[in-house]
Amino acid sequence: MFLTFALVTLVGALAMSRQKNLIVAGLCLVLSFIGMAGIFLLLSNPVAAALQIIVYSGAIVVLVLFVIMLLNAHEEEPAGKARPVQRWAGALAAAVLGAGAFKLVAVSPALHPANVQPTIPAMTLGQLGSDLFHHHLLAFEAVGLLLLAAMVAAVLLVKRDL
Amino acid sequence: MTPVHSFWSEVLGGGLSGYILLALLLFVIGLATVLIRRSLLVQFMGVELMLNAANVALLAFARFRNGDVRATTFYLFIIAVAACEAAVGLALIVGLYRHRQTTDSDRADALRQ
Amino acid sequence: MPKLLALIPLLPLLGFVSIGLFGRKAGKPAVSCVAVGLVVLSFVLSAAAFRGLADAPGGRIAVEYAEWLSVGDLKVPFGLVFDPLSGLMALVVTGIGALIHLYSVGYMAHEEGYARYFAYLNLFVFFMLTLVLGSSLPLLFVGWEGVGLCSYLLIGYYFETEVASAAGLKAFLANRVGDLGMTIGMMALFAAFGTLTISDILAQAGRLSPEAGFGVLTFATLMLFLGATGKSAQIPLYVWLPDAMAGPTPVSALIHAATMVTAGIFMICRLAPLFQLAPITLTVVAWVGGATALFAATIGLLQRDIKKVLAYSTVSQLGYMFLGLGAGGFAAGFFHLFTHAWFKALLFLGAGSIIMAMHHEQDLFRMGGLKNKLPVTFWTMAIATLCIIGFPGTSGFASKDEILYLAYLKSPALWAMGVAGACCTAFYMARLFTLAFLGEPRDAHAFEQAQESPRTMLLPLAALAAGALLAVFLGWPAAFGGSFRIEHFLEPALAFGRTNALQAPPHEGHPVLLAVISTALALGFAAFGYATYRNGLGAAEARAARFPGLHRLVLAKYYVDEALEATLYAFVRWLGNLMWKLFDVILIDGLGVNGPGVMTAIAGDFTALFQTGRVRNYALGMTLGVLALLFIFLT
Repeated sequence: MFLTFALVTLVGALAMSRQKNLIVAGLCLVLSFIGMAGIFLLLSNPVAAALQIIVYSGAIVVLVLFVIMLLNAHEEEPAGKARPVQRWAGALAAAVLGAGAFKLVAVSPALHPANVQPTIPAMTLGQLGSDLFHHHLLAFEAVGLLLLAAMVAAVLLVKRDL
Repeated sequence: MTPVHSFWSEVLGGGLSGYILLALLLFVIGLATVLIRRSLLVQFMGVELMLNAANVALLAFARFRNGDVRATTFYLFIIAVAACEAAVGLALIVGLYRHRQTTDSDRADALRQ
Repeated sequence: MPKLLALIPLLPLLGFVSIGLFGRKAGKPAVSCVAVGLVVLSFVLSAAAFRGLADAPGGRIAVEYAEWLSVGDLKVPFGLVFDPLSGLMALVVTGIGALIHLYSVGYMAHEEGYARYFAYLNLFVFFMLTLVLGSSLPLLFVGWEGVGLCSYLLIGYYFETEVASAAGLKAFLANRVGDLGMTIGMMALFAAFGTLTISDILAQAGRLSPEAGFGVLTFATLMLFLGATGKSAQIPLYVWLPDAMAGPTPVSALIHAATMVTAGIFMICRLAPLFQLAPITLTVVAWVGGATALFAATIGLLQRDIKKVLAYSTVSQLGYMFLGLGAGGFAAGFFHLFTHAWFKALLFLGAGSIIMAMHHEQDLFRMGGLKNKLPVTFWTMAIATLCIIGFPGTSGFASKDEILYLAYLKSPALWAMGVAGACCTAFYMARLFTLAFLGEPRDAHAFEQAQESPRTMLLPLAALAAGALLAVFLGWPAAFGGSFRIEHFLEPALAFGRTNALQAPPHEGHPVLLAVISTALALGFAAFGYATYRNGLGAAEARAARFPGLHRLVLAKYYVDEALEATLYAFVRWLGNLMWKLFDVILIDGLGVNGPGVMTAIAGDFTALFQTGRVRNYALGMTLGVLALLFIFLT
């Protein structure tokens, strides 16, 4: 099961990064997110899975698609000047980073925690809610404020005249 | 140090290493997308991918510490922040398009020396 | 009481400072009083010290004031020594100096830079006294350099003119070459003796015996002699002295006749015991002196400018002094310095009187018949001329014949050179005298205007004439029944520290015969000179027409200046140009000044390459940074 979902996620991600048509790229991203939702399910966290689909693929990616369509940017624009150095260096850097990080992480003892229970009770909204409102109320309010600020900022940024 | 073949069996069998490896790969793909693609919107999608890679790692660790609710709470906050970022970022992209008629990040180089 | 010795040089220094600071505002009378007065005071103090010499222990007064240099093994105190040699010299400097200061009051009366002149003149006296009285070689060298500086300042007194500025510079630079020799010599002496205090060096030297071949002492003394050739205008560094005549005439009298140029001779006398240990050096000194004496005298035969004749005469007479020193007659050479100071200063001041009377005309070919117009000048210069040609009974006769006799003992060729020079001297001095005072005036207009100089100028002339006449009593040669008192007088100084007595040059040979020959020849040439010119220039011109090439050669001073210009000066200029192009332009301007600028620009351009303004590139940069951190964590 893990393998399936992992593959779905990875394929979606790769496809997104290679896709020329932006709309299709967005849809590949959605596919990737669905795969991730499945991963979350495997991790006994249906709440996270739901949130992932609702918020990420259902809101954020939709927003991105709206903007793509608004700006009529279906295709990536032709390059003013081809910059192979950036592309190859970028790919190489990312790859090396990945390999290095992998080497660094693979030997970490954190990857082998003790007392792993084969099954755990799944996360519930109730649990999430009570934890959120009992222990992280201030953070919750702050995030609300942050969202307000982001809204105002977004409106202001696209105003024609201030 | 885990012997190599047992590492891969753990990966394939859905152990913690597998999830972490997955998160790592997603992050690297997201980073490569940002570095390689020119369209601002695709770069934005790559950033979202990187964020989600972090989410995967976070929730994987939570699971293998026998279910910590705080991880999910934090995951919620991450989503909230990602939403803010999406709003502002897309507003910026729209603003740039309005001024420069382009969403190519290479054309937004007014600060070059 | 001995502590007051420092006042002798310091009083003129005070004069320099006060006149330099306040002279212009104070006005000419005040400046005159201060300048002349202070030098007179110095003279009085020197005379007092001179009187005290008899009672002083060891016949010398030595005072140490403070420690000056203390570097490693080198310890040099500030000290002054007043002994027969330096004392006599100090008297000459302050005495003749005072007379010349007085003369300058009259001569420079109409000059704009009056205060400047007297300030420099006082400064000169200070430095000269430091040179003379200094107890150590560095202090002597301070005075040495200082008089060179004052010479530059005073030669270039009329600095608005090209000629004077160039002459001042030439003097200074030629002296610098000599000073290099002095410095090297001092270093060699320090290496040999471990000290630079003169009395210590001489004390150590007194225990040594003369060097057989070319050793440290010979090298050191040769280097010191090189310095002396610069300061005392001998071959090869004499070229500055004729040009130095561009300065005011009293300056020529004081600096380039009586005092500064004699510093070289004084230095050698001061270090006489040392030079006696280096017979090779003494031989060199004698031959250079003899050659210069003859060489310069020949040039003086044809010069038209009255001051130039006297300049070459000075070079020639200095050559005689060195000839005497090199022949072992340190007292004889110094005695000639003494007598020469009197009559040469007199000759220069007299020439100044003529020049003033003729409204700054210096060409002999335009003078004539001034005998009745300038009587005082005429008689005093007559006395001086008799001295310089060695008329029997004059001081010049006494000193010159002593030198010629010693030269003969060293080498008959040297004696012949000296006699030939003496003949030339007699001729050109007679020529000068005749052309200036006798015969018919050649420039009627200037002749009409000529009148005798003011008293401030005539008094020194008379005093110097008296001195020139009386000086003979100091050193009447033994060969003629005298006691050559000066030699005995200078003995403590010249033989300081000597533990084993060095043989005095033996007085064998035929001194009287030699003197008769040389004097007769000189007088003959003097008469010849008079005869040639007493009816004007016609006879001379006729003779010159018979030897046109030779005439041209001598008139052009053997083209020495031109040769130097073509070779040495051109080389130095080329070298300077090369240094300028290499060091100044490329290294300092290019690398030092422009370098950082260019480097900054390049660095800036380079770093600007990274400022593309594109987000992708910056993201790549960040990734590379993280990679670097990763690398650090992995290793």
